[in-house]
Amino acid sequence: MSTRQDHFAESHYGTLNTSKFLSLRIPLQSHHLELILYQAYANLRAEAERTYIGVLWWIFDPIIFMSIFYIVFALLLRQKTDNFVAFLLVGLVIWRWFQNTVTNGSNAILNGQSLMRQVYLPKLIFPLVTILSDLFKFTLVFTLLVIYLWASGHSIGLPYLTLPFLLFVQFLLIMGTTCVTASLVPLLPDLRYLIGHLLQLMFYVSGIFYSGESIPEKYRAYFYLNPAANLIESYRDILLNNRWPDLRAMLIITLLALFLILIGYKLVTTFDHEYPKMVAR
Amino acid sequence: MNQDSGIPSPILSLRNVGAFYWRRSGYLRKEHFWALKDVSFDLYQGESLGIIGRNGAGKSTLLKLLAGIISPDKGKLINYGFTTTLLSLQLGFLPNLSGRENAILSGMLLGMKRKEIEKRLSYIQEFSELDDFFDQPINTYSSGMRARLGFSVAFQLDPDVLLIDEILGVGDADFRKKSEAVMREKIRSDKTIVLVSHSAATVRQLCNRTVWIENGETKAEGETAEVLRSYEGSLGSQSIKK
Repeated sequence: MSTRQDHFAESHYGTLNTSKFLSLRIPLQSHHLELILYQAYANLRAEAERTYIGVLWWIFDPIIFMSIFYIVFALLLRQKTDNFVAFLLVGLVIWRWFQNTVTNGSNAILNGQSLMRQVYLPKLIFPLVTILSDLFKFTLVFTLLVIYLWASGHSIGLPYLTLPFLLFVQFLLIMGTTCVTASLVPLLPDLRYLIGHLLQLMFYVSGIFYSGESIPEKYRAYFYLNPAANLIESYRDILLNNRWPDLRAMLIITLLALFLILIGYKLVTTFDHEYPKMVAR
Repeated sequence: MNQDSGIPSPILSLRNVGAFYWRRSGYLRKEHFWALKDVSFDLYQGESLGIIGRNGAGKSTLLKLLAGIISPDKGKLINYGFTTTLLSLQLGFLPNLSGRENAILSGMLLGMKRKEIEKRLSYIQEFSELDDFFDQPINTYSSGMRARLGFSVAFQLDPDVLLIDEILGVGDADFRKKSEAVMREKIRSDKTIVLVSHSAATVRQLCNRTVWIENGETKAEGETAEVLRSYEGSLGSQSIKK
């Protein structure tokens, strides 16, 4: 009896203290993983049911978004990069996975407050549901992107071997960033505005519609401090230029992502019983 | 072992428990608002414990503590290894999904495994009397139908301790009667129940022991009849003062 008692007492009634912050127990059990899967499926279905063409929006939405950028940068500003459409597409698809998940995920715990006041749920569930449903949408768009690239004459080379690794690194980075922002937004809802503006800034400095080489040499080192810029360039290396990506940069991003995941996880579990108490503002 | 000694062992113990919420007290300023200040009692296996008190006495906060949703900011709450769940109707319902899908989702949010809830779907469909509507999106339901589905799902829950906040029956007249009947049956069974109510009549009917909460503090604890006598006495003296 004693083990179960201790476990239960800690998981449900532990108060805010440092020992909790230092422990590394994962609070999710198998039925929570089931719940994350089903809730993600349910959210996607509900979202599709809300519009006439439903699922097709997940494809049209990025296409329309990309058309706008094509009009502005290729036609109006006459950007001179070879193969600009493919170049732009890769940048935008990759960027939007990051931006959408972080934007939606930041509000995940805050939006879950009415639910978490009625039943005990490990709060990690909320951002994970968003991460999962946005991953599904991205997979759809990314598959179409790769098909388009093949159809337009880009070949598959050996560097493709690193593509799964690259996707996984980005997934980790998205997960870490989202968990950190999701854990902080309920504590300070004002952060939502800040996160929006930071993402906007990141969008412009990540080389989505220009390449790193086009930046003056003395500033280029700063440009590559941005993980998103490195990721986008690596995808272009593999998908467009048949080049191996910078694996050292990938390794550094992996470490950064793991660090963010740890911090986010710690914050979410530390405030597990505090979130339901925060009065909706 | 404990049964032989004749003294039953508690499954939950509260000792001087208090809990606060944050409340905005001005620009950039927040303060504690103590919803519960000093509550102590024990919950024993198989009993139906009533919690009575006026609106704003802290009853709902107390249930949230017992359900493990929030943790005490003061005092001690000891759970000796039992699962506790607050009976929540229509938890997490999504309007665009079918009754069946919402039943699965809501059941899983309440802590059931997907397989468990799927096994009971035909029973839920039957009890909720939804027939073909069960596979229609619930935004086509009347509010009565939604209430029926919500009750039928939540009633499948079988935690060690069931926490009930006021609700006994829901829906239109017929279904209210039916749902109230099964709920009363559950409360009278060997199941451990905590029932929160501001109605003395309900508590008198269903609970063997009662705790009276006033302003976030335990005012009395004991036999239902005794506690209710002083509770109703206090209500009387209040209305005389007015």
